[in-house]
Amino acid sequence: MAANGVETTKAGGTQGTTSRNGAWNVTTRKQPILKAEPIEALSNELGIPIPEMIFGDNIVSLTHIKTGWSLEFNARDALDKVSKTEEGMLQVAVAEQWKKERSHQDEVKQVVKPFDWSYSTDYKGSTHPGEALGAWEQTTQERFPIRTDLLSRPDPILFFDTVDLYEDELADNGIALLSVKLRVMPERLLILSRFFLRLDGVIVRIRDTRVYVEHATNKVIRQYTAKEGSYDHVQEKLRQMRENVPEAFRDANKLAPLLKTVEDMTDVFEVH
Amino acid sequence: MPGLPSSVDLDECISRLYKKELLADSVIEAICAKTKELLMKESNVVHIQAPVTVVGDIHGQFFDMIEIFKIGGYCPDTNYLFLGDYVDRGLFSIETISLLVCLKLRYPSRVHLIRGNHESRGVTQSYGFYTECSRKYGNPAVWHYFTDMFDYLSLSCVIDDKIFCVHGGLSPSIHSIDQIKIIDRFREIPHEGPMADLVWSDPDGERDEFSLSPRGAGYTFGAQVVKKFLEVNSMTHILRAHQLCNEGYMVMFDDRLSTVWSAPNYCYRCGNLASVLEVGPGGERKWNVFDAAPENEAHRLEQQQQQQHAGSDPVRDYFL
Repeated sequence: MAANGVETTKAGGTQGTTSRNGAWNVTTRKQPILKAEPIEALSNELGIPIPEMIFGDNIVSLTHIKTGWSLEFNARDALDKVSKTEEGMLQVAVAEQWKKERSHQDEVKQVVKPFDWSYSTDYKGSTHPGEALGAWEQTTQERFPIRTDLLSRPDPILFFDTVDLYEDELADNGIALLSVKLRVMPERLLILSRFFLRLDGVIVRIRDTRVYVEHATNKVIRQYTAKEGSYDHVQEKLRQMRENVPEAFRDANKLAPLLKTVEDMTDVFEVH
Repeated sequence: MPGLPSSVDLDECISRLYKKELLADSVIEAICAKTKELLMKESNVVHIQAPVTVVGDIHGQFFDMIEIFKIGGYCPDTNYLFLGDYVDRGLFSIETISLLVCLKLRYPSRVHLIRGNHESRGVTQSYGFYTECSRKYGNPAVWHYFTDMFDYLSLSCVIDDKIFCVHGGLSPSIHSIDQIKIIDRFREIPHEGPMADLVWSDPDGERDEFSLSPRGAGYTFGAQVVKKFLEVNSMTHILRAHQLCNEGYMVMFDDRLSTVWSAPNYCYRCGNLASVLEVGPGGERKWNVFDAAPENEAHRLEQQQQQQHAGSDPVRDYFL
């Protein structure tokens, strides 16, 4: 038993914590990137090439202990939500020029099967119902707010982790990164799953899924917020703010306030 | 060595760099100028003889590069061919490239460096080297010295006329080695064309020919492309780097192509192995696989303690 009556366990890349009232458990598993064979199997299963860094064995899970209900974040399910068609497909900044100048236009016509190579996902976690009844219900922040006032208090953090699910450097045209952060305090917990895309010269995109639980309740509040901005617009704003532009472009926290919200929804699961 | 100011003692620079000390910016300037002179004389295709140990991407992971010398032998006892991507991403790009350049100057026929896609002004501005130069020297002058020198790096190597070594891969514009020799390489890496392809392209095990990337720029090359290239040039193998492999290396296309990756625990968090390839006098290939150097962890803890001492907890933050 650790301080404040919260149990923390740690074994072989897996760590977990149970809230002191015994209602909720948060567990993370961190392993090396996948080896060649599992990568091939996953690629065949999903029908798309796999990101350069694939943490296929990493997991973050939130479990309601009494019912076994859980919300899990893993790379496989997140990648399964990546578009496998040409819809919404981005192109690198030099693509137009590249096509014009390409000297072998006649010889090479075969395009690798199109898919959203920016690995943009609107993944909000995978729900496993266990013995629980109920379903996710659409709601609003007014009715079920994520209490940033309470989360801003300097309560002790009993368990903290960051878990990467996948990352791709887009052949050095930027970055696509899906990673999950979580912190458990005595009264509540917050999970933030963030997809961050910077396609140099083209776009910046942040898609956040926040999961909030007050340990004393049976409610899981989930907010999904998608933000975007054109690269040039963000660059201009950073210059105006006299930021170190190359450094700021690697820091999603700095970029988030400069982007426009394009989607914002909240849902809640009452587990019983 | 003629051309280097008498104040610059290469052996002293090397021994300081092995200890991860930075050189003065005036010394970097002189060394880069001298390296340009040396590299200028090299062909776009450098012919070398085995035995040689071939190293893939290092990406500023200085301690892991030192690990390579520990397990593979120090210069000049072991001959080395480095396949590019010396800088960006890791914490010690300057120390890494400084040491490699000094070793090249000191033992020019025993150390060979070719160009990776990160040896470029454009890419290093986004992926860390520029920022590291500005931070560690207070201004970007050394970044200019290094990136100007990168324009002179050769593009490929051939071991014993049999093994073609390049950073990325093949190009639809290149069928024979002679076509590489006529590229005007003394420039920033262009967005397209054979020079770009050599440092950027990737093999695709599921295809036979060249394909366009869905990104809209760049190629992948397949089994028949590799087979034809080797036949046309009377070679047996293509050796390249550029792609992360969890096992440290990957062999494809019926042993006609391999990828060597030399940055263990890439970005200090991938948990992958790394390797170097030892090519013996008879052309035999032996993978020497290694894990991240223990100094990485010690350095990480030291940094954390410093931050904690300064009153911030680098591990836990009150994110919202």
